[in-house]
Amino acid sequence: MSSYSLPEAVPAASSRRLSGNAVWALLLSLPLLWLLVFLIVPVLVVLIVSFFQPTLSGFERAFTLDNYRALLSSGPFFSTLLNTLLSALITTVVTFLVGFWVAYYLALVVPNLRTRFALFIIALAPFFTSFLIRAVAWIPMMGREGVLNSALLSLGITSQPLDFLLFSNFAVRVAMAQLYLLFMISPIFFSLSTIEPAVLEAARDMGARWWSILWEILLPLARPGIVIGAVFVFVLSMGDFATVRLIGGGASTSVGLSIQNFVTYMQFPQAAAAASILVLVTVLGVVLLLRWGAIGEEL
Amino acid sequence: MTILAQNERPADDGLVASGQRGTVVLRGVSKRFGSTTAVDGVDLTIPGGSYVVLLGPSGCGKTTLLRMVGGHEVADAGDILLDGVRLNDVPAAQRDISTVFQHYALFPHKTVYENVEFGLKMRRLSPDERQRRVNEALAFMDLTNLRDRLPKQLSGGQQQRVALARALVTQPTVLLLDEPLGDLDRLLQLRMRVELRTLQRRLRITFIHVTHNQEEALAIADQIVVMQNGQIRQVGSPQAVYRRPTNLFTASFMGDNNILAGRVASVDGDGILLECEGLRLRARSAPEPVVPGQAIHAAIRASTVRVRQEAAAGATLPPNCVAARATFVEYLGDTVKLHCQTASGLALVAKVPEQDPSWQGIREDETDLMLEWDEDDVQLLTS
Repeated sequence: MSSYSLPEAVPAASSRRLSGNAVWALLLSLPLLWLLVFLIVPVLVVLIVSFFQPTLSGFERAFTLDNYRALLSSGPFFSTLLNTLLSALITTVVTFLVGFWVAYYLALVVPNLRTRFALFIIALAPFFTSFLIRAVAWIPMMGREGVLNSALLSLGITSQPLDFLLFSNFAVRVAMAQLYLLFMISPIFFSLSTIEPAVLEAARDMGARWWSILWEILLPLARPGIVIGAVFVFVLSMGDFATVRLIGGGASTSVGLSIQNFVTYMQFPQAAAAASILVLVTVLGVVLLLRWGAIGEEL
Repeated sequence: MTILAQNERPADDGLVASGQRGTVVLRGVSKRFGSTTAVDGVDLTIPGGSYVVLLGPSGCGKTTLLRMVGGHEVADAGDILLDGVRLNDVPAAQRDISTVFQHYALFPHKTVYENVEFGLKMRRLSPDERQRRVNEALAFMDLTNLRDRLPKQLSGGQQQRVALARALVTQPTVLLLDEPLGDLDRLLQLRMRVELRTLQRRLRITFIHVTHNQEEALAIADQIVVMQNGQIRQVGSPQAVYRRPTNLFTASFMGDNNILAGRVASVDGDGILLECEGLRLRARSAPEPVVPGQAIHAAIRASTVRVRQEAAAGATLPPNCVAARATFVEYLGDTVKLHCQTASGLALVAKVPEQDPSWQGIREDETDLMLEWDEDDVQLLTS
């Protein structure tokens, strides 16, 4: 008989250790509970209330489709929904067009890793202040007597102040693009940062010019980041009402703002129905984005 | 096969015809990064169709030199010529040179086929021509059944073949390989280095290969270029570099050399007598003329040292002979390495074949040994 004498395995310190599965279950249960209490339950409540009969002082618990019927047959609500969708799409495209190059510069042009992250933090700096302050800060910039109009007037580019710079759809979209830009820059920056420099060098070695490298290498490899950034910006600007109220000043509308108005007049079922429609449209948009991005393969 | 048929390469195997394309000449090439000099006045001629290995430790400038040839780094001074044409200002894409990058740098989002096709697409070849040449290159590198895979779905060896196919599909006259075997496990390294050599023989184009692994360089190269601190220390065939190192760096980098510091005692017509730390050595010749009294290093390859079990009888031993004891017998399988110490405290290593009975019965720190070697095997390190 052949026998090997090796030191015996040391028994586990404790036989009553939690199994791996139990640890995972414990770790995951807390966020799941959080999601249940603060997301799933409220969404269900909103959905249920949207089917209730509105009364002058609130609602009574009687099932009806009238809320949806009224909203979907109302021209103003429809144009509000379209305007919200348009604003969200424009904001997403603009943040992509601007944010991609910021991310490109940070990830691929800045050579030193430390400088790169320092610049990234600086790009983050405006987001250290509150959302409202940044939105309000647009008013002295864009107003009739604001910085931009004064500059245009004194340079003689215009003879009178431009009104569309504030309290307009244009102003809302500019402000939202600025407010949400970071949500586009960050994921693209991280996507581009993972590209090996040698890959770009190999492309150049094989004769790729700047344009081909962008089209053949950078954009495809940044696609997960672009899609994630687009989802962030799209969702945020679909739900926006504060920017619309402050910068739009009544000249711009959004579903979020309508919901707020419904709530102000205690029309909870209508608010809930509008919210449900908004969520549905937003989710559809996100699904389309993810499908276009075919993001499943990358992640 | 287009890859092979290009520019009517000579048909005779292994012969490097003079005037063959792919001759790279470097003249006084230098490159600095900030205050460090990566490459320092390198002069080198790489004959067309040869397999040249740039060998040296990390940071010796070998990769920088390769990158300058490839056009990925700009030389601060000197000329880089390919077949007589100055390349310094020619962009990488327009050089008739391809690179297999370290870690291969495959395009992670493109399939094997698309990776190989990329260079042809950038050269705006017609789709038909592209398809024909990619298919040929894939067949040539035995990748046809992997054409639709992504790089992450390939093994290290397969990724390397894709990198080779991608570099060769544009029919370069020079192929640069930056540590091409570094990412592979040892067994695959041994196989792939044979394949690289075979591939170069079939293609008859110039291969310039960078590595820090001496064994790999010895196995694969026509010419080895040993580099240190941005300078070339020795150029020669594997045998020349291995057996006849001319300088201290090459002798220590090529491994398993006993290196002794000493002085020239006398020079006569037959050879050179040296005094090295109480040991007398006799060498046949030196790479450069030496004079008595000159400080010098000598190298004796461990495998040329013979071992006898015998106590030192007389008081004086002839040169190239010393009494010692083994402090450690290192059994390596095919060879046995005897770490010895002389009476004067000098450490010497002898390496004997495993089948050689001379090492058997040697007991560490007990058995009296006589170490001996030929004067032909004493290599003076003068340059």
